Amino acid sequence: MSDVSLKGVRKAFDGNPVIKGVDLEVARGEFLVMVGPSGCGKTTLLRLIAGLEEADEGVIEIGGRVVSDVPPRDRDVAMVFQSYALYPHMSVRENLAFGLKLRKFPEAEILSRVTAAAGLLELTSLLERRPKALSGGQRQRVAMGRAIVRHPKVFLFDEPLSNLDTALRVQMRGELARLHRRLGATMVYVTHDQVEAMTLAGRVAVFDRGVLQQAGPPLELYHRPANRFVAGFLGSPAMNFVAVRRESGRLVGNGFAFPVPRDLPEDSGVELQIGMRPQELQIDARGPFQGEVEAVERLGFDGYAFLSTQAGGLAARFAKGAEVAVGDQVGVSPVCDALHIFTAEGRALRHPASS
Amino acid sequence: MNAELSLALVLAFAGSSGALASAAPLKLWHAYRGGEEKALESSVKLFERESGRKVELLALPYDVFASKLMAAIPHGVGPDVFIFAHERLRLFSRMGLLAAVDGEIDRPSYFPNTIEALEADGKLYGYPLSLKCLALYVNTQLVPRVPGTTDELRGLLSRLSSAGDNRFGLAYESGDFYLHAPFLFGFGGRLFDDTARAVFDTPEMARSLAFVKDLQDRRLIPEEASGALVKSLFGDGRAAMAISGPWFAGEIPKTVAYSVFPLPRVSETGLPMRPFLGVEAALVSSKSEDLGGALKLARFLSLGEASVLRAVVGGQVPANVAAYEHPEVRRDPIVSAFRAAAKNAVAMPNTLEMARVWEPMKLALQAALKGGALPAQAGALADRRYRALYRPRPPVASPVPYVLLALSAAVVAAFRLLRRPAPSLSFTKRYPDARRAFWYLAPAATGLIVLVLVPFVFGAAISFFHHDSGSYTFVGLSNFVDILASRGYRVTEPLSFYFTLAVTVLWTAVNVGLHVTIGLALALLLKDPLLRLKGVYRVLLIVPWAVPNYITALIWKGMFHRQFGAVNGILQALHLQPVGWFTRFSTAFAADVVTNTWLGFPFMMVVALGALQSIPPELYEAAEVDGASSWQKFRRITLPLLRPALLPAVILGSVWTFNMFNIIYLVSGGEPGGATDILVSEAYRWAFQRNEQYGFAAAYSVLIFITLLVWSALTQRFTQGAEETLS
Repeated sequence: MSDVSLKGVRKAFDGNPVIKGVDLEVARGEFLVMVGPSGCGKTTLLRLIAGLEEADEGVIEIGGRVVSDVPPRDRDVAMVFQSYALYPHMSVRENLAFGLKLRKFPEAEILSRVTAAAGLLELTSLLERRPKALSGGQRQRVAMGRAIVRHPKVFLFDEPLSNLDTALRVQMRGELARLHRRLGATMVYVTHDQVEAMTLAGRVAVFDRGVLQQAGPPLELYHRPANRFVAGFLGSPAMNFVAVRRESGRLVGNGFAFPVPRDLPEDSGVELQIGMRPQELQIDARGPFQGEVEAVERLGFDGYAFLSTQAGGLAARFAKGAEVAVGDQVGVSPVCDALHIFTAEGRALRHPASS
Repeated sequence: MNAELSLALVLAFAGSSGALASAAPLKLWHAYRGGEEKALESSVKLFERESGRKVELLALPYDVFASKLMAAIPHGVGPDVFIFAHERLRLFSRMGLLAAVDGEIDRPSYFPNTIEALEADGKLYGYPLSLKCLALYVNTQLVPRVPGTTDELRGLLSRLSSAGDNRFGLAYESGDFYLHAPFLFGFGGRLFDDTARAVFDTPEMARSLAFVKDLQDRRLIPEEASGALVKSLFGDGRAAMAISGPWFAGEIPKTVAYSVFPLPRVSETGLPMRPFLGVEAALVSSKSEDLGGALKLARFLSLGEASVLRAVVGGQVPANVAAYEHPEVRRDPIVSAFRAAAKNAVAMPNTLEMARVWEPMKLALQAALKGGALPAQAGALADRRYRALYRPRPPVASPVPYVLLALSAAVVAAFRLLRRPAPSLSFTKRYPDARRAFWYLAPAATGLIVLVLVPFVFGAAISFFHHDSGSYTFVGLSNFVDILASRGYRVTEPLSFYFTLAVTVLWTAVNVGLHVTIGLALALLLKDPLLRLKGVYRVLLIVPWAVPNYITALIWKGMFHRQFGAVNGILQALHLQPVGWFTRFSTAFAADVVTNTWLGFPFMMVVALGALQSIPPELYEAAEVDGASSWQKFRRITLPLLRPALLPAVILGSVWTFNMFNIIYLVSGGEPGGATDILVSEAYRWAFQRNEQYGFAAAYSVLIFITLLVWSALTQRFTQGAEETLS
């Protein structure tokens, strides 16, 4: 039984199609993260679920009820905005209570819900303050609190952490996860940050230019991306892609060749692309890829070297001990089975067996 | 050799500049327009040719002429000669503005009653130029026989008038006492009692008012007739007769065939209707630097060719006898007719009392004609108003206690200032840039001091004095006491400070309330992005604000005219009763409010629009998701977030409205009877319409200032409480 269901949803702004036919289900209690680059339509989709925009085509259901013509206040959803949208002229307590007051809840109920939410989010000492007297993280929590007190069917989050600094973001990520466990509520979360997607999601939905690319648990998308876009989107630094030709049992590229993996389908074409994650490449003087190091990023316990080779630019990971400097001529080789293979159009054909 | 040459040059220079000084042009001020002005200009050119002296003419608007003269002449910057009606003669002579002409005039050259009019305190001031009085203009195509008595007049009027077509047998400015006076005197009434004090509550006054009211009720004469209305009715042939003076002749189109006759006799008394005789004279300033030249100019204007020009080109009735021998003058039927009419005329007294008659009589006429009071009661109204206005001088107070008080206050202040602990750093150390800052501030500070502070201090100082014909006497706090104790009239009467204050507060509250409501409503409409042509609507709504407000006021006043106004026209088209807008307080007040709201809402609209656009749209979305309806969004989000912007606008608007002189003065004019006057227009009247009671008016102004100061202080507290910033 899904809490949110989108079927064949389309939306265009001024003739520009933004959502081009999306089908998506969110199960009850699930934490779904919608990711994608800017302009992919994820925020629009969220607003369509909330009711702040109207779909041109398609059906939207919440809790099994068709809500395409229902205004936001009757959809039983709560939204946390990117800019928090706290009411500046009200105290934190009044902000939290606003939705309940509008729906004429009894005073006792309002008080208990507000107190509970404040306790959950550690806002109890801030209840009488105005938003302008709060820090970014505190405002974030008030925005979440405002959604929580409503006990909605679905929580909607619109890039809530993007205005916070890194340390705070990490902390809030943990709190969000904790919140989800405590409340067990259905949450739809939009972000452009794939780390948030990987860490928070029960399921991830990746979008590109208004089209759903793949939806599933994060690790599945990571290890078995359905197409080149998803493969390149998840993981940092991005997966390396190299063009190859299938010739007499070998995958031949510029300056290197691999044997064809046994589980590659026979009729997959001649022009192919291979994808290798930088974390599965190692510095190896006799590796099939040889090139000059153009940039190095040292992150403390490991680092990434960016080489230019005959086959194109490659990123490879190196461990703490390796001495790699800009300008070195190095070789790179995959660690065991690291080849993802895609058609020339980007459809995935083969993935390495996951560990 | 060189020294002698220089000395010679210097002397030659001095001599020639002395000669130049004596050839400075004579300054002549007047308030003529049209034909009268042309005649004057031609006469002046003749003088310049004959005497070789240059004359500089200056035309002034009539309403401010007197105050300009009284302000300029004592300071030596006035004219050498000016042309003025004789009524204020005594005032001018008491103020020392006039030079006597006793030795320099040939009395027999002029009509005797014109000479009489120019005498005051045994001396003769000025040369009579022309005389004017009222006469009956008759459209000879419409009127079969000229009425000689009021009974004949009434009979004629019934036949000539037709209310449905807006045709009247007779049109004249019935609300102006100058035109009502002939009726009063025709009924045997007097204006002054034996002690030369003005008296209004007489049976003859009542009868004359009843007579005119009856004519008006029977639709034989138009209501609320202004000079412009009379001119247009007579010119269109919609009024068969008119009562007016010689100036009217120049305003009648050539298509109307008319003649001029003396006013008829009042049948009840057998007395002729006696208009006031006004004499226009060339008066010589006592402060003229070239008295001889000025006298020459003034005399020249009153005799010979100049007076013929006056008659023929200016349409005036010359006061000198010889002019009538000139064939052109003799042939002129208008001039002759007025000379005949003048035989019945009463020289308007040039006493101070006469100047005090106008406002009370205006009140009586308005009340009687617009139905605010019965004709029999109107005289009493005028009497009461007269006595309230012309307060006797309060007892002279000694300035000593006040000076002592001021001194001791200064001493205490200085003491406390000096006893303050010295700051740890010297002034120059704390503010090293003080010098530079001073120079940056100096221009603006100078402007503020000269234009704001100095007049303010002067005004406050004057409030401790009583002004009478140019002399000031110290009366301490008497003015304030008189105002606040409402001496001379009840608290609930229009002249009372409290009544006027209440009206002003009501005026401010109603206006600001309407401005904000309408402005906010329109701003909410205009901010909706779906509204097409938003730019056009915005411009249209700003237009009321862009048109100068006195023009708007005059237009609205015309629209509220009882007989010819657009508003009543619309009411009649809707089969509703037309309203006499300025006869009752509620409707006159409403007319003022409508006009001021028309003027004032764009400001609030613009402020609200700006503030609305600064509210982040996400707040509305969050509220939407939280469950707010449109009304709830407005009440809980929009209004509270608009407060920081609207509050200052409301405070500003309330201060402006509190002092909105233009609308009150121009639209309702304080009618009825001063009830719609607000504090600031009341102060104006005390200063400029009631015999220059400057001290009293200054005290009024100080009280207005204190009221607004208290109001500002109160509202400061409100804005402190409402300090919000969007996060």
